[in-house]
Amino acid sequence: MNKDSLKALTNAHAWVGLVISTILFIIFFAGSISLFRDDINAWELNPHFAVNEQSENLSLDSVINTVAKEYSINTHGYFILSMPSAEQPLANLYFEEKLSGDEHVDQHLILAPNGKIIGNGNGSNWGDFLYELHYDLHIPEVGLYFVGIVSLFFFVALLSGVVIHWRKIISKFFQYRKEGKKDKLLDAHNLIGVMGLPFHIMYAFSGLVFNLLIIYQISYAVVLYGGDQSKLLTAAGVVDVHLDETKIVMPVQGLDNLYLTAKASLGEVSINRVSIDHFGDESASITFRGADKSQFSTRKEATYHIASGRVLYLTKDNFDNDLRGGLAVISSLHFGDFAGYLIRVLFFILGIGTCYIILTGNLMWIQKKANLRAEKQNQLGLKVVYAMTTGGFIGTIFASAIGFIFARAIPIDYIGRSDLIAYIFFGCLFTAIAVSLNIKAQKQFAAIFLKITAVALAITPVLDWLFVSQGIIAMLKVGYYHVIVVEMMLLSLALFCWLIASRLFVNRRVEVDNTIGDALNIPVQEQTLLN
Amino acid sequence: MWSKTFAGLIIGLLLSVSLVLNLNLLLPIKEDTMLLIGLLLAFPIWAGIQVWGYSFINAKKAWLKLSLVLIPSVLINAVLLSLR
Repeated sequence: MNKDSLKALTNAHAWVGLVISTILFIIFFAGSISLFRDDINAWELNPHFAVNEQSENLSLDSVINTVAKEYSINTHGYFILSMPSAEQPLANLYFEEKLSGDEHVDQHLILAPNGKIIGNGNGSNWGDFLYELHYDLHIPEVGLYFVGIVSLFFFVALLSGVVIHWRKIISKFFQYRKEGKKDKLLDAHNLIGVMGLPFHIMYAFSGLVFNLLIIYQISYAVVLYGGDQSKLLTAAGVVDVHLDETKIVMPVQGLDNLYLTAKASLGEVSINRVSIDHFGDESASITFRGADKSQFSTRKEATYHIASGRVLYLTKDNFDNDLRGGLAVISSLHFGDFAGYLIRVLFFILGIGTCYIILTGNLMWIQKKANLRAEKQNQLGLKVVYAMTTGGFIGTIFASAIGFIFARAIPIDYIGRSDLIAYIFFGCLFTAIAVSLNIKAQKQFAAIFLKITAVALAITPVLDWLFVSQGIIAMLKVGYYHVIVVEMMLLSLALFCWLIASRLFVNRRVEVDNTIGDALNIPVQEQTLLN
Repeated sequence: MWSKTFAGLIIGLLLSVSLVLNLNLLLPIKEDTMLLIGLLLAFPIWAGIQVWGYSFINAKKAWLKLSLVLIPSVLINAVLLSLR
């Protein structure tokens, strides 16, 4: 590649990275935490509903009897039971409760291993909140596609980075120059980028598949299938087992037998999800879904007509379709759900490493622009980028830390709990950005803000043991360690924040602040005061 | 930079669909496998074309060169679809 092309590509790499940096940071930070989504959900709920028994033999008939007596279940709505497992002692039931007329309300019930309703989980979804932040930023309708476009530009930044760095990729593989400020940032950026490259490519690609698949779905449907979406879906292994509603009321029973039949038919499987279609109608069907833990990414599923016990669909190998099988593999890689905690810890470290790459990329850009002569500088741009880096990046971590604190501190039965925590999260994030836009000594602010964030992250484990220690101990006694996993994650993040504050933002603080101060035309006397 | 971005974004998307469609129409592979291969190739092609677009010194060149690759691919699509 010639010099001009390489220069154009280097500029584009910096530009693309800068434009997507804040959103990409939020996506990666929330995504890294979401690797422990189930643990976070269990951390939030389980200590309040501690059980002292382990059981994977939940009676479905007993659950249905209990729930149907207390709630009017919407026939046209969803009915999903997340089964207890070796990792999760409680069952979670999600369904639509019919109110009057066409009105209905979402319900989330917590069930003990014996099937008894022990609580309502409507207000406790902090893990799900972080996960949704990861994939659509909580932007209705278009958030998913927006995140998809950001993933595409992340892919572009990765590929352009590889091309730029290609000639030095082997010779400078372990290079890390601690002395020069710019060298240190660049070497850290390259080192983590190259070492984590397969991981980054996998995440950019799988993120694109999840969020922008619709583009190719439409293209294929139009060009290959003459606009017939159903033909494409059939080729893609989407199986329609829907039965038409008969409007004949029929109690839902005999599920325990169907469960045993499904287990026997599916072979080696851990059924983790049971769903019922057309609850209470003669046409009702039940689907058992699970994974074969002895194989990599193998999903199994069986659907039965409840009234007759007739098999409507059964697959032991990813819907017997290569596309579905491929998507299952991509999904397993993305969620790191194929090798226990170890792989998720590794992915978590790499995910946080990516956050560090984004940070160093922005800091290099700021440093480069700050070193330009005054007439060449775009002071507003520099200020905005600096504010988005300190306020946006650190603000995201801080808002998450505060979210964890409130998820533990607000009583579990408080009405509107999850909405309140969401408002607090976004309030903290936007306040951090607004404050950093009005701060001149950005380095000093970043260092202090990071240390405050580190303390906030470390507060949650303390609150855990102050508020729900009995529940935690009860769960530990029966072998459930979700609280400890979440606490370890928070403490490691706290340590990471503290180290960044101490190493990256404090060293040569005066010198760097002066550079930025000069760039923003702050008088020397004022800079001295700020420093 | 925005013009180069749109060149890569738009032509990259069209080219990824077009190239994958050509493969789909040419290779005698079963339908679901072909859809998977298409999916695996389409996004990297899209991102790769964008990177290529950025490597040109100006946006005009980017639009021109990318279009020069897109046109023959679309013509092949048309021929293959008409022979189908």
